[in-house]
Amino acid sequence: MSSADETPKASEAAAASDDLALLLGRVAARDAAAFAALYRATHAVLYGVVARILTRGDASGEALQEAYVRIWEKAGEFDPAKGSPLGWMATIARNRALDEVRRVRPTSLEEMPEGFEPAAETVDPLAARARSERLVALLACLGHLDADKREAVLLAYYRGFSREALARKFGAPTATIKTWLRRSLMQLRECLES
Amino acid sequence: MTLSPDDDFAAAEFALGTLEPGERAALAARRRREPELDAAIRAWEARLSPLAEATPPIPPPADFLPAIEARIRAAAASPASNDVAALQKRLSRWRAAAVGATGLAAALAIGFVAREATRVAQPKEFVAILQKSADSPAFVASINLAKGELSVRPVAAPPQAGRSYELWIIEPTLGAPRSLGIIDAAAVTRGPRLAAFDRAVVEDATYAVTVEPEGGSPDGKPSGPPVFVGKLVPVEP
Repeated sequence: MSSADETPKASEAAAASDDLALLLGRVAARDAAAFAALYRATHAVLYGVVARILTRGDASGEALQEAYVRIWEKAGEFDPAKGSPLGWMATIARNRALDEVRRVRPTSLEEMPEGFEPAAETVDPLAARARSERLVALLACLGHLDADKREAVLLAYYRGFSREALARKFGAPTATIKTWLRRSLMQLRECLES
Repeated sequence: MTLSPDDDFAAAEFALGTLEPGERAALAARRRREPELDAAIRAWEARLSPLAEATPPIPPPADFLPAIEARIRAAAASPASNDVAALQKRLSRWRAAAVGATGLAAALAIGFVAREATRVAQPKEFVAILQKSADSPAFVASINLAKGELSVRPVAAPPQAGRSYELWIIEPTLGAPRSLGIIDAAAVTRGPRLAAFDRAVVEDATYAVTVEPEGGSPDGKPSGPPVFVGKLVPVEP
């Protein structure tokens, strides 16, 4: 990862992904040094995932720790055919954060702390350092959704917005939001499988 | 049997995270019994996961790695795990000695962390950091296996007015914990107290400190749960 070339490339993403897959394999074999290396390589992305959903620092730290314990436990279940190592790990972290936020209470716009507004609109997946092929495909499909519906999906994904929070944000009944999500998700799958 | 469109949508919303708390909990329970639903949730997670991967990084406010490693050890020491038979045995010995086992399980786990964290330059010797949590060492025990000698140096052991710290060696083949005597909270305690034990026993044992009545346990058994615990680590040359 010491390329002088600043432009992210799919090949670079693939190389980094291979490294992480190797580390995950060693973690599955209970290699503590590999686990530490995996943590160093991925913790800022995983913290980015949980902190955007939980917004409270202590809860985010807790979710991050739980996520890595799970990653240690489940490393052997990672299947490279079904996704990238980072995507797999980030999904585990995200689920920990969602379990927490849905357990306590729904996220509301009013609760967003001052000065912490990396709203989904500003979370620009297009600016990602290196884009995997899967991400390129998903972004293309997201591009086919109406702007509002795309934003709703991204707010739900990146910020953990519930239907209720989305309803407030878009000034629409929750039933309408549910319909949006249903159409959007089905449309996404169709697009990805085409 | 294929998934109904409603269940498929529920799986999608589970992956997206928009289910209400009750719905999410209900689906989490169902997926354990319904492999098809579980597979649908995983498929949706995989479809959306490139977004998570592309999340702009935020550096965490602290280095959580040591705490994560401690949790992993704690999980390995829990009764749910089957690859820690030795620890389980030790635990049951403690129970047999009528000592609260819960505290020990947590403390033993920390002993494992200490084993990895220790690096002291004293060739051919072993040390054990006796502590309650990874960042609060109370005593450091140094052991010279060749001579069976033990020295215990206080690091940050709070003084116990009218009470004494007592050191124990715990190892399955020994049965109940064996006393290694009173240790001083303010000065180094030395002695050839390990000469009577096999080398393998000394190396594998867990070392625990309890708070006893002044002068030590009256009946030769620990009278409470350990307050500090550690395992030996070889000192790197």
